[in-house]
Amino acid sequence: MMTPNVIERAMLIAFGAFLVAVPWLIPVLLNKFWVSLIAEIMIWSLFAASVNLLFGYVGLLSFGQALYFGFGMYGVAIGVATLGLSFWPAFGLGIVASVMIALVSGIFAVRLTWHYFAIITVVFSLIFYFFAVSVKPLTGGDDGINFSLPPTFSFGGVTGSFSDASFQYFFILATVSLCFFLMHRVIRSPLGKAFVAIRDNDVRAALIGLNVYQLRLIAFVMAGFLAGVSGALFAFFGRYASASYMYYHVSGEAVVWAIVGGAGTLFGPIVGTTFFIVIRELVSTHWEHHALIVGVMAILVVILAPKGLVGLWNDAFISWRARAKAASTNTTLQTEP
Amino acid sequence: MIGNYRGEWINVLIHGHMMDTLLLLALNGLIWGLIIALIALGLSIIFGLLDIINLAHGDFFMVGTVLAWFTLELTGNFWVAFLIVPLIGFFLGALIQRVVIQPIRNVAALTIVATFGLSLILQESVRISFGTTPRRILPPIQGTFPMFGINYEIYRLFAALIAIIALAGFFVFLHRTKLGTWMRAVRHDRETAIAMGVPAQRVYVMTFGIGFALAALGGVVAAPITTVEFRTGVDILPFCFMAVIIGGLGNLPGTAVAAVLLAFLEGIIQSFADPTVARISSLLLMSAVLLVRPQGLFKGLTK
Repeated sequence: MMTPNVIERAMLIAFGAFLVAVPWLIPVLLNKFWVSLIAEIMIWSLFAASVNLLFGYVGLLSFGQALYFGFGMYGVAIGVATLGLSFWPAFGLGIVASVMIALVSGIFAVRLTWHYFAIITVVFSLIFYFFAVSVKPLTGGDDGINFSLPPTFSFGGVTGSFSDASFQYFFILATVSLCFFLMHRVIRSPLGKAFVAIRDNDVRAALIGLNVYQLRLIAFVMAGFLAGVSGALFAFFGRYASASYMYYHVSGEAVVWAIVGGAGTLFGPIVGTTFFIVIRELVSTHWEHHALIVGVMAILVVILAPKGLVGLWNDAFISWRARAKAASTNTTLQTEP
Repeated sequence: MIGNYRGEWINVLIHGHMMDTLLLLALNGLIWGLIIALIALGLSIIFGLLDIINLAHGDFFMVGTVLAWFTLELTGNFWVAFLIVPLIGFFLGALIQRVVIQPIRNVAALTIVATFGLSLILQESVRISFGTTPRRILPPIQGTFPMFGINYEIYRLFAALIAIIALAGFFVFLHRTKLGTWMRAVRHDRETAIAMGVPAQRVYVMTFGIGFALAALGGVVAAPITTVEFRTGVDILPFCFMAVIIGGLGNLPGTAVAAVLLAFLEGIIQSFADPTVARISSLLLMSAVLLVRPQGLFKGLTK
């Protein structure tokens, strides 16, 4: 008999299988463009996941994740275009840069909570946004940096290049999956439990001996890492970096994706990001004012499904599981005598 | 933001002397500060009373500038906008509170998402109705006025006057009327206020309406001295938040003073450095305030 748990696991496997099959499946079903769109959705999902890690598990609403995204992006772009680095060093530069800036700004930011935290994270990201806009020789300002031909990369005996669409897709899939897996492990670990304890009640968490400041800082740096990886991937993906991706609107979109998808759930950011980007793509081909639909959807979901789309699914699932359980106990009771 | 700063800056560099530049930019900053104070007050009462980070507030301002433009187009008279636009803003704000904010009022994170959605809706509506081309409104009062050795636009002085009157009017309203007292009561202690018979629900609707109206009025006042387009709100929002934070959350006089001080300082910095440098310095100032004095600069100075 199909039990809810089996179904959930089967769905996860089906989802994984689907993602692996995308480069062959999607060109047949839709067209090639959707393969790169799915790759883009994965990158943005990772970005939304960085908001989710902070807000959904530690209770800190960051409105400035675009800063760490931007450092990852510029690390790669400047690494390739200006410093002439090859693939891995540039990737590493992007990630190290975003982790470093997350550490430095986190030291200040996590001293504050709630409104003040949200605002200081925006302020930090705005400072660097204006900085990036003004130092044109380095960052290209709002026009951005285009860098030609992505560097070829070889791992073991295999040589791959981002100019090969399937290779690019699988590289993004592997990187994003790895990050999500790491996040999953962290959340399931004692560290993750400590995060949730702080989210639920920071005073109580401090009283049972957790170092709230330090734990928040760890979470902040981890979120910076996730945002940095997504920014670095995005730079490789678009062969482009621009200061406009560091503006607070980009951070705001990630917050919307994470909360609409379902904050505090592993898959929430993926669902939210997919939801909005697919709407954007479907509508924008017919109507240029797709942002109107996005705005209306954000408001509707927030009012009708306060726990997000995944929360809606989970609630339905839990009640279904309860019913299934009740039904099975009923049958055992009937067959017993 | 405040896009016309740079244009004027260059203009003055060519035609004027350094002292005149400084004076002009300082005056411009002062007047922008008064307008920002209006907008930031709206943001601050919504923030203080409803505990909402209103990401659509900059767009309330933008809608004000656009409505001013439409009023001028339809009636041929800009002065009508000073009356009509804040009124429209008030009803829009009240409507938004009822429909969008009320169902999720108690969950702060959701209200942030909702106001973000609202911001998108307002911007796109303006793009559909008004278009994407930035437009300019000619000041309803033309001409310049000789002042401290420079010729200063009369309309800007008038804008300052309107802003000062509106600010004064708002504080009188807050302290001398029943609704104003209710608003202060609900902000101070919601439970007690409700127990004393204050209709908190109505106060919320009114507060949001007044917040929108203040921003819209700011938009009308600013329309002839800035460009009218769907994006101005995005740029002005961080500035308003700076005023609210530096002035101290919920400290309304502090917010107004901070807005004027900030814009004035940015004006002065712009007379010898790039506008971006001015913006970065006020952001750094704000970070320092947040970290050292999160209650705002003026805590203890005002009651």
